[in-house]
Amino acid sequence: MSTAMNFGSKSFTPRPPDKGAFPLDHFGECKGFKETFMKCLRENSFENALCRQESKEYLECRMERQLMAKEPLEKLGFKDLIDEKSEAKHKKL
Amino acid sequence: RVGMWCAGEPLARAGSSCGQCPRTGAPHSQWAPRGPGSAPRRQAWPGLQQARGVARPNPFTRGQEQEWRRRNRTVLTYIAAAAVGMVGMSYAAVPLYRLYCQATGLGGSAVAGHDSDQIETMEPVKDRIIKVTFNADVHASLHWNFRPQQTEIYVVPGETALAFYKAKNSTDKPVIGISTYNVVPFEAGQYFNKIQCFCFEEQRLNPKEEVDMPVFFFIDPEFAEDPRMANVDLITLSYTFFEAKEGHKLPLPGYQ
Repeated sequence: MSTAMNFGSKSFTPRPPDKGAFPLDHFGECKGFKETFMKCLRENSFENALCRQESKEYLECRMERQLMAKEPLEKLGFKDLIDEKSEAKHKKL
Repeated sequence: RVGMWCAGEPLARAGSSCGQCPRTGAPHSQWAPRGPGSAPRRQAWPGLQQARGVARPNPFTRGQEQEWRRRNRTVLTYIAAAAVGMVGMSYAAVPLYRLYCQATGLGGSAVAGHDSDQIETMEPVKDRIIKVTFNADVHASLHWNFRPQQTEIYVVPGETALAFYKAKNSTDKPVIGISTYNVVPFEAGQYFNKIQCFCFEEQRLNPKEEVDMPVFFFIDPEFAEDPRMANVDLITLSYTFFEAKEGHKLPLPGYQ
């Protein structure tokens, strides 16, 4: 692993996550969203780009139930999904 | 010739107490008198002989000796200052080198950190699809069922992705685990950024409890511009869980 003894090449140094660790979902509050996301992945042959809406919903579930620090979704890389939503809203109006 | 002389003749008794020759009145000398025809003794360093701790009645030599002393002291001060400076520099070299590495990006591991602004503004590189496979391990003494919930996921650089692991505590006691991760290939690991995960913090599982453990990550868009990564299409993320023992402090990488 990171105990490669060759001094020439760079070995891997683990870095802490940017926003820390997820608290554990002991009560399975967001399990439903997770199942939706996993089903979407299996149906789309594990392509992440097609299931981003479901992953966004899972993270929103976590934020609502204090299992994740609340953050604007743009900061989590969902800017395109939010723009689509607001565009759809504008079109409706 | 050792012994006491008086007016050219040796004293009969050694250690004569009077110290003065009765005949000439001159003090007893330790040196034998010089025979006729010998040259008078020449003193090579007149001032130096006198400066060697012997009585210095000469005001000129005193000044010279003070000059030497002052010069010695100045040189010693300079040398001491240089020594202290060297020691100080060797201590200062550590943080300075770290700053230098961060500024120039040399040394690899000291890459400047990413912040949430980068996540906000990054654009996914849609033509570069990377397959991320997941691996899960536990340490032999940890009786958990730990496995990924998907074998692989296809992402592009610049796009945030979510993946799940599942862990079940199969024992009858609450167990605290702590995990670390690894990314292969190593060079790609520097582009693999975890926004949030479950590593490096103690995770407690109650008896027979099963939880989902998400990993929220993205691959830096600069991955697509690195020529060394041109052939990399597969990245493997591997997590390993260990049991956290009471009072056992793990060397976590700058996390706490």
